[in-house]
Amino acid sequence: MKKEDLYSKEEKLFQDKNKIYSAQYKKQIVYSTDARDFGQVAKSIPCQDACPAKTNIPGYIRAIYEKRYGRAYELNRGANILPGVLGRICSRPCESACRHGESDNGQSVGICHLKRSCADLKPGSHRIIEGLYTPTEKKVAVIGSGPAGLATAHSLAVLGHKVVIFESMEKPGGMLMYGIPEFRLPRDLLMLEIKNILRLGIELKTNKAVGSDISLSQLKNEYDAVVVAAGCVSPRKFDISGENLENVYNGLDFMKAVNEGKKPFVGDKVAVIGAGFTAVDCARSAVRLGATDVSINIRKTIEYMRIDETEKHEAQFEGIKIYSLIQPSRIIGDGGKVTAIEFNRTRMEKTDSPPYKISIPIKNSQFSVSVDCVIAALGQIPDVNVVSKEPEAMDGVFSAGDFVTGSSDVISAIAGGRECAAKIDEYLVGEKRKQTVVRLETHDTTDRQRSYDFIDKIEMNTIDMEERLSKSTHEVETGYTEDQAHEEAKRCYLCSLKYEIDPLACIYCSACIDVAPKDCIKMIESVSVNPDGTLGRYEETSNWNRVVSIAIDNANCIRCGQCLAVCPMDCISVTKTELIEIDT
Amino acid sequence: MPDNDHYVIIGNGPAGNHAAATLREKDKDAKITIISDECIPYYYKPKLTDFIADKIAKEDLMVNFLDSYEDKDIRIRCGQAVDRIDLNSKTLFLQHMEKIKYSKLIIASGSRERVLPSMASYAKHLKFVTSYTDVMEVKNEIQKAKDFFIFGGDLVGFKFLRLLNFMDKTVSILICPEAFWPYHLTSGMLAQIKENLSKLNADIIVEDEISTIEKQNKSYVLKTQKGIEKTVDMVFSFNGLIPNIEFAKGSGIDIDHGILVNEYLKTNVNSIYACGSCAQIYNRAIKSYSTSIGWPNAVAQGKAAALNLLGDQKIIESVSAKYFDLEGAKIKTSWWEDIDKDNDI
Repeated sequence: MKKEDLYSKEEKLFQDKNKIYSAQYKKQIVYSTDARDFGQVAKSIPCQDACPAKTNIPGYIRAIYEKRYGRAYELNRGANILPGVLGRICSRPCESACRHGESDNGQSVGICHLKRSCADLKPGSHRIIEGLYTPTEKKVAVIGSGPAGLATAHSLAVLGHKVVIFESMEKPGGMLMYGIPEFRLPRDLLMLEIKNILRLGIELKTNKAVGSDISLSQLKNEYDAVVVAAGCVSPRKFDISGENLENVYNGLDFMKAVNEGKKPFVGDKVAVIGAGFTAVDCARSAVRLGATDVSINIRKTIEYMRIDETEKHEAQFEGIKIYSLIQPSRIIGDGGKVTAIEFNRTRMEKTDSPPYKISIPIKNSQFSVSVDCVIAALGQIPDVNVVSKEPEAMDGVFSAGDFVTGSSDVISAIAGGRECAAKIDEYLVGEKRKQTVVRLETHDTTDRQRSYDFIDKIEMNTIDMEERLSKSTHEVETGYTEDQAHEEAKRCYLCSLKYEIDPLACIYCSACIDVAPKDCIKMIESVSVNPDGTLGRYEETSNWNRVVSIAIDNANCIRCGQCLAVCPMDCISVTKTELIEIDT
Repeated sequence: MPDNDHYVIIGNGPAGNHAAATLREKDKDAKITIISDECIPYYYKPKLTDFIADKIAKEDLMVNFLDSYEDKDIRIRCGQAVDRIDLNSKTLFLQHMEKIKYSKLIIASGSRERVLPSMASYAKHLKFVTSYTDVMEVKNEIQKAKDFFIFGGDLVGFKFLRLLNFMDKTVSILICPEAFWPYHLTSGMLAQIKENLSKLNADIIVEDEISTIEKQNKSYVLKTQKGIEKTVDMVFSFNGLIPNIEFAKGSGIDIDHGILVNEYLKTNVNSIYACGSCAQIYNRAIKSYSTSIGWPNAVAQGKAAALNLLGDQKIIESVSAKYFDLEGAKIKTSWWEDIDKDNDI
């Protein structure tokens, strides 16, 4: 008998108040490809499922809690090669899905701020981990060094291929370098993470525009595969009169000029048109260029803005006003320069097909406001003339990122790059060399205390307005301190821990149901199975004659461990579930 | 009406109560329920400041007592907050996990305090006088405290300032140009307001901003950007109100600043109407949506929403633009009514 088995459960709890032991003590690890396990991971870990790159969010937050910042950084880097960058500018689909943000649970965990913390707090001598494959002697050309191009190049280099990136601009990074303002993304950090990618022997050729300096067919002849990751660089236009007047900019050109250190004229009154991140970046940049009355003007309602609450807050903090339900009808000028913009008021209307809600101009509702400058941040489309209209139609030519999907976000571009690299690798070596599986590991503690559920979200530290305006490149957010990161990490429910009741050992005492703070333990009579093989919803019953099992609904469970502590039969187990990549 | 019809009203203020009373008047058999997140029946908010000073008792605040709901056969659920609305199943999910089915719904959830973006990080130090619950949390503390700081300066704010003066408290007030939003107070208006308030025993600060608020023991230390430092017992924020519509977000009901309704107070969903300060109402005259403030507006809209829900086509006419007197400063507004105008409680 092992020493630990000599003690009763209560004695163990007494010995270590911070740990609650589960029924299974022996470590067991299983790698599963069962659809039910994939389904369980997707349903139970909503943050990871919402992340296009499927980042192991509970894993890295747990590592931060343990103050293993390097480990947390590497867990991030396994899914996205720019953790420090994404920790600052990610669109955060994970936070919208976070269970802590559900009603009555408080606010979602500051997942993105924590991601930044790994990059900020990891030791200076941090060792980067790369699982390098043997060189294949295959050569791949990547067109574009934005997030999709970088992610594709990195994954291909890891897989042993020789990669050359062709970048039309002077510096690498694409939209990260030229689209996002420095006060949100410091360039030294961006270059550091890019250099970490290039260290794998990736060759970067800047000022090399495919289409003018070198043709796609040339690349196709010289390389075993070509990836088009040229992004979305052609701005959408207003298509209204006056858009060619002086001091009317498109958002991307405006940000490019700002990021190159130029100071485009903005005057005092600036009207930005658009509802996304670029619109907010333009507006905040205009404030730093001296404009005193800056507005963001959107066609639909505020609800439809494609930015997160943090960006909205920062814009409003900087005095930027947001006007909704208006649409520009013409731009008015005098002497060739813009002097005013005319809007139509709009109303919302339902449609039967996507986007399901559109804005309709209201007749005779025009009004105009005087402005010194108009910035149209209406989004971008791929510049198909540069390379080819249908690159995928050519053998050995692949495409990735915004070039394929249209203008999206950085994390989606990185995820797209990795997927594209896997396809290219299969094309080059003739077999699939990696596969994703669910790693299941028995876990002996709940890892959480109930008191953690009541910790308020730690807000990001920022510099004050005076400092923001004193130098336009001052980074506004300054990151969490170590203590703040540790405290915020405690808030994560660790949804990767799966709680299960063994129906053969359960005596149906319902003690677990009585102590559960959420509606997460259910008396069920059946479980439906989805067409894809994943488990569906629990069919509950209050009739004891029909109960076939008491089950924990991991989609509602907040991993408080109360059920585990109260179970008289030790029939509740905890299993850590993770998506990992293994060799086939 | 069919047995399963159920009119539910979210909100127990003037709009909600007048909607309920109108529904009952027109439909004797209807099942009507009011849901309110406050633990008190219908009361008169503008008198909250008098209640703080003990000028009036709790009974004097009340417009309706519980028995008046019983008389009208209107169910009142106090202290119950709506969490979300499911349009497909016509179900309200309450925060305590109860579900309520409705056949027709009137949203009259009113408004809540507005915290300026610049004050978001100090929100935990700020007190408000927006609801009976707010007041009960601070009433005793106000009576004991000596030094106060008021940030903002909307209608209730200036009323509260006069109250503190009446109570012989030491008060500093920093008037924020955005307090009377959506209107921006110009330097001229701020000067006029300052002059008007100069008769009061208060330190009036304009053209400055709060830099930091720190809690030190039981006091708060405020610093302004122009170097003024104050140590006070309580800090109050009065920067207007914003529609209280969190529960409707993501439901499919069109929302901008408030719940978007047409001139008949109908939302984009046939069976759902909205009225009072939570609604952003389409105004034919200006071809735009705007929110309203003030008791008389809420009363008129509550009645109109109920009539329209029953099949009427009553257009809610906006109050035409007029000059509003804010402590001597004339501000051109529409849809605004004085908070003390209580001719139709």
